[in-house]
Amino acid sequence: MDEFQEILQDFLVESFELIEQLDQDLVELESRPDDLDLLNRIFRVAHTIKGASSFLNFDVLTHLTHHMENLLNMARHGDLVIDADVMDVILESIDLMKALLVRIRDSGEDSGLEVNPCVVRLDAVANGTSLGETVPPPAGAAPTPTPAPVAPVAAVEEEPDYSGMSDEEVEAEIERLIAVRQAEDAAKRASHAPAAVEEEPDYSGMSDEEVEAEIERLIAVRQAEDAAKRSHKAEEPEAPKATPVPAPAPVAITPAPVAPPAAPKAAATPRKVEPKDDGENRSGAAVEQTIRVDVKRLDHLMNLIGELVLGKNRLIKINDDVEERYEGEAFLEELNQVVSIVSLVTTDLQIAVMKTRMLPIGKVFNKFPRMIRDLSRELNKKIELEITGEETELDKSIVEEIGDPLVHIIRNSCDHGVETPDVRVASGKEEGGTIQLKAYHEGNHIVIQIIDDGKGLDAEMLKMKSIEKGIITEKEADAMTEKEAFGLIFRPGFSTAAQVTSVSGRGVGMDVVKTNIEKLNGMIDIDSEVGKGTSMKLKIPLTLAIIQALLVGVQEEYYAIPLASVLETVRISKDEIYTVESRSVMRLRDEVLSLVHIGDIFEVERVFDNSEHAYVVVLGLAESKIGLIVDSLVGQEEIVIKSLGEYLKGIEGIAGATIRGDGGVTLIVDVAALMQMAKSVKSTVGQESAEAKGRIGTKNSASDYCVMIVDDSKTDRTIMRKSLEPMGITLIEANDGVEALNILKQGDHTFDGMLVDIEMPRMDGYTLAAEIKKYNKYKNLPLIAVTSRTGKADRMRGVESGMVEYITKPYSPEYLMSVVKRNIKFNEGL
Amino acid sequence: MSEKLQQIINKQNKALSGEDIKIDEVIQLVGFIVGDEEFSVPILSIQEIIKPISWTRVPQTPTYILGVFNLRGSVIPLIDLRSRFGLETQKHTEETRFIVMKNNDDVAGFVIDRLTEAIRLPKKDVGPAPDTINEEESMIDGVGKQADRIITILKVGKLLERNF
Repeated sequence: MDEFQEILQDFLVESFELIEQLDQDLVELESRPDDLDLLNRIFRVAHTIKGASSFLNFDVLTHLTHHMENLLNMARHGDLVIDADVMDVILESIDLMKALLVRIRDSGEDSGLEVNPCVVRLDAVANGTSLGETVPPPAGAAPTPTPAPVAPVAAVEEEPDYSGMSDEEVEAEIERLIAVRQAEDAAKRASHAPAAVEEEPDYSGMSDEEVEAEIERLIAVRQAEDAAKRSHKAEEPEAPKATPVPAPAPVAITPAPVAPPAAPKAAATPRKVEPKDDGENRSGAAVEQTIRVDVKRLDHLMNLIGELVLGKNRLIKINDDVEERYEGEAFLEELNQVVSIVSLVTTDLQIAVMKTRMLPIGKVFNKFPRMIRDLSRELNKKIELEITGEETELDKSIVEEIGDPLVHIIRNSCDHGVETPDVRVASGKEEGGTIQLKAYHEGNHIVIQIIDDGKGLDAEMLKMKSIEKGIITEKEADAMTEKEAFGLIFRPGFSTAAQVTSVSGRGVGMDVVKTNIEKLNGMIDIDSEVGKGTSMKLKIPLTLAIIQALLVGVQEEYYAIPLASVLETVRISKDEIYTVESRSVMRLRDEVLSLVHIGDIFEVERVFDNSEHAYVVVLGLAESKIGLIVDSLVGQEEIVIKSLGEYLKGIEGIAGATIRGDGGVTLIVDVAALMQMAKSVKSTVGQESAEAKGRIGTKNSASDYCVMIVDDSKTDRTIMRKSLEPMGITLIEANDGVEALNILKQGDHTFDGMLVDIEMPRMDGYTLAAEIKKYNKYKNLPLIAVTSRTGKADRMRGVESGMVEYITKPYSPEYLMSVVKRNIKFNEGL
Repeated sequence: MSEKLQQIINKQNKALSGEDIKIDEVIQLVGFIVGDEEFSVPILSIQEIIKPISWTRVPQTPTYILGVFNLRGSVIPLIDLRSRFGLETQKHTEETRFIVMKNNDDVAGFVIDRLTEAIRLPKKDVGPAPDTINEEESMIDGVGKQADRIITILKVGKLLERNF
């Protein structure tokens, strides 16, 4: 018996190794059906397994492999051409063979699987008769990640997961697993899928021991599935490959206590980070190195990190303020250290959490080879799929959302893009079409490109169709550029297919694409040439939640521009702006860059515009570039994207909002939309605002001058009022900094100057000055400090915070008056 | 005696059931002033009422949308009811408040001139909206009558509905 077990062991190890290679060979064989080497290799697998299984008395397996061998032998000798129909049957039989081997490994016998229908089909193909019935395509080939055949068996008590359970819990779990399993099997049987890997054994006829063994097997299967899922989740780039490959790898046989040599298996699946697999291979019950986490928890974690980032931004801002205020004090350094550590850790934490959510795009790409194969059979076209960059990683939520759009685009390419072979040959192309699926990183984005070499999009035809269907008017059509016309395929109700096929043509698919991609803040770029093909580029942010942004100011408003779209920033003098055909342009090195003022896009009222210089943020998107003129550059900041909500969604040019360090809301610019809007706005660059010009010269009487007195002491205010009243100017009083700021914000008066006390409750004079200077409007408002603080340091701080004069109490009324007159440029003639 | 007892029991029953109906039919509203008129919304549709805080203008929106503000980490639209109702805007005063209303998942803040009081109004005192319906008035759910005044009850769902 021991000897037999040893032989069986060797047989299984060998068979699974062979099968592993087989999967890859078969996919290749389909593209190169006359490759004799490949055929020989596949033939040998069938042959070897047949020989060994007959020796070991596995009759069913022998029966099946014998017929496979026959068929393959014919193909090898050129008596049979491997076409897709034949391939279907071969794939089916291989799946069946795999299933049988798994059974042998698990239970030691090969009974219970129905092989006869498959054998009949094998023979039918071998005899050259066509397949009368329509065989549903087998779900077997390499690209299908069926976790079912993955069945590393480990006894239940070895599993750490179950050890902590009470008997009842184990019982319940077993029942649940059986139920799951049965449901799966039932589903498979119902669909007559030849790939139904493991038929449901007849439990009623089993002895207790058998039932026991069966339960253990089911648990093991279940665990293997979980393991497969986990390895998907595990953050490592090679995961897609891992799906089919490690299937036979973790071998441990329940009835046979002999553990197979695990080392070569582990070597057979070389991967970078795979502690879990190693562990399972060696003992089947080593310490778990991965855990499964509910996605909701990760999402929650991500939200918390978002809040933390906001908190960090706020902390940094407060730190800056404190630094300014208590310059040179010893505790500052310590505070600085803490703040920088917190901000560093927050950033790391954010990256770490983001990484736990990253999945390789291959997870989505995986299903396409099979889809293309099926589609090309259905549509009678020859289409090849080339995939590159499947290891590119992106956020889980995006991976989930991107699947559907890609299916639609690829279906569309197969159906409308790639022509039938005869059409292709007639137009001088190769018979088979190619669809390329590429993924790569570009800045903070991932780009997924779908390129076909089909008939391309005809802009005129698209326009005609749209007019016909009433999607656009003729007038609109005339004004459309080629790219805009391509965009028509995303309109709801649009379909260019002359005929509605089962694949596409109902006119729902592509608008789903657009909606989904927009939901992800992504962009779609279509390039097409009639007769040459179409390229569709999806540009999607790596993560949805947190981005780097450049903050810019215009008047008193701030906007955040996603840094990914910012190419550079330049400072130019106003003379460098030229007007060409009523558009503003500038020369940037060798290029002419068209300019637009952010204020024109976002309808910012320009009240103050006297600087000689302008900042230009050069934005780049796909091939287009534009210069965005802003008043000031604030800096780079990490921002958390928040939606504007249902009520304000879809506002042109705004992608969302974020909460800044000071608790205020800043809007995030939608660069793509902004570029569109830039085409239509009327430029006012270089025009000075009327109000700015009119600011001086409107003083017709002394009372047109307005000065604010900010002091917490009523007496002091009265003294100042009394000193200034003889001038006849308007005087407004404020109790403290907060009140003064509110009066300023209300804008009831246009102030020409302010007298500010330093020591005040709520908000002191320095802070008030700093706050006032934040407003562009008041940048040049003269602030005069009136204080009893006489220290040099105080004076210095006054100057730093933007005070123009420093009057120490007590003072003579004449002195105060002369200082005020000088600063507000009082016209004595009035 | 038993007849008297019966009467008393009947009376009590009546009073009891009558009171039950009363509780059922009272609606609770929060009243506020916009312009010269008093409006109200059901108390349950109010998330909170806050003093004015700073907000950020959002371009490309109708003038009655002042912008968005930060309510403890959420970005919420701010709508000026004066200009929403076609009245002239006025500067915010000490009494100005933001009423944050919600309807299902829709939330927005509304600027009102001042709050009046919480109102309990029997349902029978609420009449239908006047027939002269135009766009503005379709926001009216009904008109509540109290001894000395008339209170317009607004449809919160309508207020929170985007109409641009």
